[in-house]
Amino acid sequence: MPQASRQEIRFLLGGEVCIVRDATPTTTILSWLRDTARRTGTKEGCAEGDCGACTVLVGRIEDGNLVSEPVNACIRFLASIDGLQLETVEDLGGAHPVQRAMVEHHGSQCGFCTPGFVMSLAALKRTNPQPTEGEIDRALAGNLCRCTGYAPIVAAAMAAQPEPAHMRLDETIVAKLRALDDGTSLSFRRDGARWDSPRTTDELASLFLAFPDARLVAGATDVGLWATKLTRDLPHLIYVGAIDALRRVEQVDNTIEIGAAVTYADIEPIFDGLYPDFARLIRRIGGAQVRSVGTLAGNVANGSPIGDGSPALIALGAELVLRRGDERRALPIEEFFVAYGTQQRWPGEFIETIRVPLPAATTRYAAAKIGKRFDQDISSVCAALRFELVDGAILEPRLAFGGMDGVPRRAARAEAALQGRSFNEAAFEAAMLALDQDFSPIDDHRASASYRTRVARNLLLKFYRELAGETATRLEPDAYVHAIV
Amino acid sequence: MKFDTPATTNPIDQLKVIGKPTDRIDGPLKTTGTAPYAYERHDVVANQAYGYVVGAAIAKGKVNAIHVLDAKAAPGVIAVITHENAGKITKGNFNTAKLLGGPEIQHYHQAIALVVADSFEQARAAAQLIRVDYERSDGKYDLAAAKDGAEKPKAGGFGGDPDTSVGDFATAFAAAPVQLDATYTTPDQTHAMMEPHATIAAWDGDKLTVWTSNQMIAWGKGDLARTLGIPKENVRLISPYIGGGFGGKLFLRADVLLAALGARVAKRPVKVALQRPLIINNTTHRPATIQRIRIGTDKDGKITAIGHESWSGDLPDGGPETAVNQTRLLYAGANRMTATRLAVLDLPEGNAMRAPGEAPGLMALEIAIDEAAEKAGIDPIEFRIRNDTQVDPEKPSRPFSQRQLNECLRLGAEKFGWSKRSATPGKVRDGDWLIGIGVAAGLRNNLVTKSAARVRLDQRGIVTVETDMTDIGTGTYTIIAQTAAEMMGVGLDKVVVTLGDSSFPVSAGSGGQWGANNSTAGVYAACVKLREAVAQKLGFNSADATFADGQVQAGNRSAALADAAREKELVGEDGIEYGDLDKKYQQSTFAGHFVEVGVDAATAEIRVRRMLAVCAAGRILNPKSARSQVIGAMTMGVGAALMEELAIDKRLGFFVNHDLAGYEVPVHADIPHQEVIFLDETDPVSSPMKAKGVGELGICGVGAAVANAIYNATGVRVRDYPITLDKLLAKMPV
Ligand code: FES
Ligand code: FES
Repeated sequence: MPQASRQEIRFLLGGEVCIVRDATPTTTILSWLRDTARRTGTKEGCAEGDCGACTVLVGRIEDGNLVSEPVNACIRFLASIDGLQLETVEDLGGAHPVQRAMVEHHGSQCGFCTPGFVMSLAALKRTNPQPTEGEIDRALAGNLCRCTGYAPIVAAAMAAQPEPAHMRLDETIVAKLRALDDGTSLSFRRDGARWDSPRTTDELASLFLAFPDARLVAGATDVGLWATKLTRDLPHLIYVGAIDALRRVEQVDNTIEIGAAVTYADIEPIFDGLYPDFARLIRRIGGAQVRSVGTLAGNVANGSPIGDGSPALIALGAELVLRRGDERRALPIEEFFVAYGTQQRWPGEFIETIRVPLPAATTRYAAAKIGKRFDQDISSVCAALRFELVDGAILEPRLAFGGMDGVPRRAARAEAALQGRSFNEAAFEAAMLALDQDFSPIDDHRASASYRTRVARNLLLKFYRELAGETATRLEPDAYVHAIV
Repeated sequence: MKFDTPATTNPIDQLKVIGKPTDRIDGPLKTTGTAPYAYERHDVVANQAYGYVVGAAIAKGKVNAIHVLDAKAAPGVIAVITHENAGKITKGNFNTAKLLGGPEIQHYHQAIALVVADSFEQARAAAQLIRVDYERSDGKYDLAAAKDGAEKPKAGGFGGDPDTSVGDFATAFAAAPVQLDATYTTPDQTHAMMEPHATIAAWDGDKLTVWTSNQMIAWGKGDLARTLGIPKENVRLISPYIGGGFGGKLFLRADVLLAALGARVAKRPVKVALQRPLIINNTTHRPATIQRIRIGTDKDGKITAIGHESWSGDLPDGGPETAVNQTRLLYAGANRMTATRLAVLDLPEGNAMRAPGEAPGLMALEIAIDEAAEKAGIDPIEFRIRNDTQVDPEKPSRPFSQRQLNECLRLGAEKFGWSKRSATPGKVRDGDWLIGIGVAAGLRNNLVTKSAARVRLDQRGIVTVETDMTDIGTGTYTIIAQTAAEMMGVGLDKVVVTLGDSSFPVSAGSGGQWGANNSTAGVYAACVKLREAVAQKLGFNSADATFADGQVQAGNRSAALADAAREKELVGEDGIEYGDLDKKYQQSTFAGHFVEVGVDAATAEIRVRRMLAVCAAGRILNPKSARSQVIGAMTMGVGAALMEELAIDKRLGFFVNHDLAGYEVPVHADIPHQEVIFLDETDPVSSPMKAKGVGELGICGVGAAVANAIYNATGVRVRDYPITLDKLLAKMPV
């Protein structure tokens, strides 16, 4: 049964109920804040999700508590915060400990990036009052500053006192958010475009079946750009983020099932326990602002040759559960990618869940991405390997690469070279050679073909050494702390 | 005030306020997001309409027709401005290409239209409806291919002579027992300041006011008047807060002109921000260079011949990147030559970016020095020290006013642990990491240029400074307040600084790291005037009046400063003007940059692990803001070394990675612990402040220090920036 629907967007702005009737489906939080609400503290540096100057916090109830996450306001549609709490730099007043520390430590020069940093830091300090430098780097990866050189901001982050209790209104906000939710779903048309936020998966399934040309959005970290940068027409958007059922991660027998609206931020701690390398990879996808809204399913559905999630999932042997109306089918994830830009998906069909097998005691897994800068970089190569180590032998190897072809895919010949071999360097050397027949990558401005070929090979060797426990030096933000003098 | 003899003791030397690590006074405005940047000045004028800029989709050629009817008929659209209805437009003195193109197109994304509408979304939607018929002509987009046709540029400006020669370079080089002859390249780079260029323009009759983001108010005002063909007096330019510039906002740019034109046609105020994906091809950039360096030394590593040639490109009538200039000054050597050549390229306009000339020049020169030292078998720090000069090597009668480069290098070596460095490359390992240490010298000249200010004293004892100087993040508000507080003997809480308004006295502006020294010297001069007026009003002898703690004292008489303004506000207005001290002395700032890197042996991923800069830059007016300037610049230097590069589509003639995702600047995790040490120095030759700039010194040499560290780590010499993983891995042993 479709829920009762409602046409106006309702959310909390800094704790007060705010009702918006004149936004279009593609009105971004940022343009609404700056042009309509005249809250100009939030800055626009790029309108493309690349700089973090527009960082605001979006709060929702999770397990009864308020969780506030940093978000790029420039590419997030206002309609997607229906039922949530929006917090901007204006809501911190001026005496927030993070703001004070930023002044004292000279964390601001031109100041244009500063409100964004302040919001990211406020979010960090709420969940982690005493962060390490690595945690700070990670939390601020989505915020660019061209002036300060970052060190003063890190110093400010270390020094800032925790947010005093009187500034935390979590319980009030939770109560207000509860009061705001009358079970209706948001559905409106404006300026020739339509927006739907179904609340249940069934509602989504029937809606998408009826409107197969609609565009599904979750985090909208890509689709947001289509609106602001590519100025593509988006006549009908269906938002999946309001469906609680799709935000779930569940263990069913030997698999975990990840809902289509589960974000990178949600899944990272889960993978940290199961496949730590996958979690490391996720931590290098975008910045915190992207990971708090971007979804694994969205990344897969996009089918980008350079999306980092896909090779990692292919190596894991993950499966997609695709749903169309009431029909469901399971598809190994690598079969989903047909060719560059084309995926195996019927009209009206969507990814409902991603199934990832749990590791057995014999399972070995490694994944890595290569880019120029540490964060917010599009991988030149992304690699992932899984196999079972049984009595010293490599069984069922699954080796997948991104950035080596038009779609992320497995390296069949290299896998064959590993299958059944003893787990030793010789086996991996054989696989390295075989890899040359698996791929013929291209040159682009991110990396040359020869670099891709060679680094793909070397990553295999690196995986071997790490899995064999020989070395474990990986690019991590904290890696530079051991200087030689 | 004329400054033509070295400064003696003056009130600044009290150092009660100057020299203290004061927090920036605009800090709270910035952490709360309330510092008003140009595009958000909703308050200044009512009824603002929004502009959206359309850029040319070809790099060179002609607009045969531009169809705007659909756009004009779109919802909310008020006006569409193109070359057809813009009226007469004259190119600004500081612009190479026209800011509104058509019918001729000079570069990709040159603005060709502005759509003005009630809302931004309407303007953006309507802009998609504009259709343009282009006629494409062939252009030149490849510096390496155009190099042989490069010509000698005009002398003048900041450039220096295109050819310089002392002694007999060719003979000395040929005879040198140690020779280095190598070619280096640096790519096109973009400023990537966080605030896009933005302007609100409003006409009141024939008077135009623009709220904009500009580093050089007087240049912008003059060029806006010239471009529109209106008297300068009719233009007011206001730019109190600037979200970064780095040279990208030195000049009048398309946002200002188009907002003014749009407002004229729409008959209401118009605001325009250059859309981020447009900025890189629409505005200026640091041009790529090809540099050949030859160094000959005797057996002891003493330079006998040094030659530096540089090629860069620009649009017709543009200028070269002056990458050879530091080589004329940095090291001794009896036989020397430099040559600068300029090729015509049809890429967007090349122009100044943080330390123009020196930044790319030192990226090449300081690798070359490392290579020459290695050939001579001498430690690279020792090599630099042996070749130090205390005089201008081209004119030995002209000493440096201060030159403590050797001290920078020695102290840095000690602090950084240079003695632990392995002289043989590729020898130090930490797990999979190959570890290396590198050094480079930095030099950036101290340019003196006149600068004026007005200082008011009111009856509450509040001192208000007015100057058209700008604060682009550098800390100008704070150091000017410190200067006025020191001069007038009051606390910082009694000083108000107002900047960036063309109705104020003309200052040096922000560029070429000349802002701090010159603008504070201008405020110093105005304060001297105000002190005289105060003394006179109080009936004191101004020569022996002292100003301290809000009191004025002369002999045994004393009065509150505020008393002098009891009846009427007192005003002091003056500027600093320089004599020929910069001819008699070479004024420069120096740095020793030290870098440690790790390179992953399997993937060639590079991590900068530690950095140190030791700087000698005259009196440091505020160690907190100066340090921040230097580490910010060091970070930009890391970007230049490892990732920053505008990729060119050599067929179509544009920069491909024209956004902040494609043009990579360092993120947090790329930047390690950075240290900055300032040597104790005052330079009485520079100004009454005895200060010099630091904001650009911080980037000068950093790129080469990174490159030299990578060489020390891996044994691989990459001479083409940026040092990306593929260039490095290709040469690393398998
Ligand atoms: S404005 Fe740059 S990320 Fe939003
Ligand atoms: S302070 Fe200018 S970009 Fe960060």
